[in-house]
Amino acid sequence: MLHLLEYWAARLALLGVDLLPPAAASRWAGWLGVLWWTADRPRRRVATSNILRAGFAADLAEARAIGRAAACHMGIVLVESLKSALVLDDPDRVQVGIPDDVQAVLDDPDRGLIVVSGHFGNWELAGQWLSRYKPVAGISRPMNNPRVQELALSRRPRREFRMIPKYDADPGRFIRLLGDGEILALLVDQHARRGVEVPFFGHPAKTHTTAAMLHLVTRAPLCFATCRRTAPMTFELTLSPLIEQERTGNRSADVEAILLTLNTHLEEAIRRDPDQYLWGHRRWR
Amino acid sequence: MDGDGTAEILDRLREVLRDSAVEERDWDAVAPVTTIESLGFDSLTILDVLYDVEEEFGIALDPKQVVKTRTVGEIIALLQQNGA
Repeated sequence: MLHLLEYWAARLALLGVDLLPPAAASRWAGWLGVLWWTADRPRRRVATSNILRAGFAADLAEARAIGRAAACHMGIVLVESLKSALVLDDPDRVQVGIPDDVQAVLDDPDRGLIVVSGHFGNWELAGQWLSRYKPVAGISRPMNNPRVQELALSRRPRREFRMIPKYDADPGRFIRLLGDGEILALLVDQHARRGVEVPFFGHPAKTHTTAAMLHLVTRAPLCFATCRRTAPMTFELTLSPLIEQERTGNRSADVEAILLTLNTHLEEAIRRDPDQYLWGHRRWR
Repeated sequence: MDGDGTAEILDRLREVLRDSAVEERDWDAVAPVTTIESLGFDSLTILDVLYDVEEEFGIALDPKQVVKTRTVGEIIALLQQNGA
């Protein structure tokens, strides 16, 4: 019953998005995000706690203001993802910064690339934009509500961007994908039960090791990407230079070194625009 | 099977699997005919094993070749081809 209610709420929100022009739709979705912030007290508490712990606010009122702005941002992200064709088809909407070493990989059809990001800015739009170079596979966990998931997947322009499940019986699928010269896009800022503890804003956070291990085992190039909103439906997509870690024979140390670098990149992005980050996730458990 | 060092490689491989794997399993029962699929690795845990295998044998395997293997025996053959 709850799934059915969520589904119809999503349909209602989409109706507003469809009927309105992009700017108005963004305002509508931002308002829905703030409504969600007001209504979802448990998530609000998690977000304000995270913002305070990360050192972005001196007091609760300041943390709430950042969290509220971030909730508005997430609503707008939904609209941007649904109307991403407007951005993807207009080169003036995305200012791109790609270092030469990463560009060389993108231009080589035989070389795979591991692109890591976090729930910052519009991460999905970044994946869709990069698919103009190579096919992009993003790893996703299925939504709790299959009806909403089906609706979301049916509505988003995909180009050469596809989502693949986090868990699968085929152990070689990530390796094969990189070997075929594709981009594997991963988000590393969700709590990882089986991950390793790496500092995130100075506090140990269990972090997924997949990106680091793939780099160490396949020697596939690895970089970090951010896609921050600079104006309505306008973005700055920045890729870091290639992150290279020599193998030392100490697997844990190698993995931690890479994850620390990735977390540092994400921290830098969040410090610049704390209101473009998804704070409502229990990152530190 | 012993003449070409297969038995020794299999023993070392069992030790790596024992150390790298998350699941408890009778690793002594692993034989060349054992399928990789039956060992219970997923796309994440297999990476730990590959790293540890390469470190144990001091060689670098071609990941594209590794994912083509279906049995432990084929892994052993791949290791031998790479100088193990």
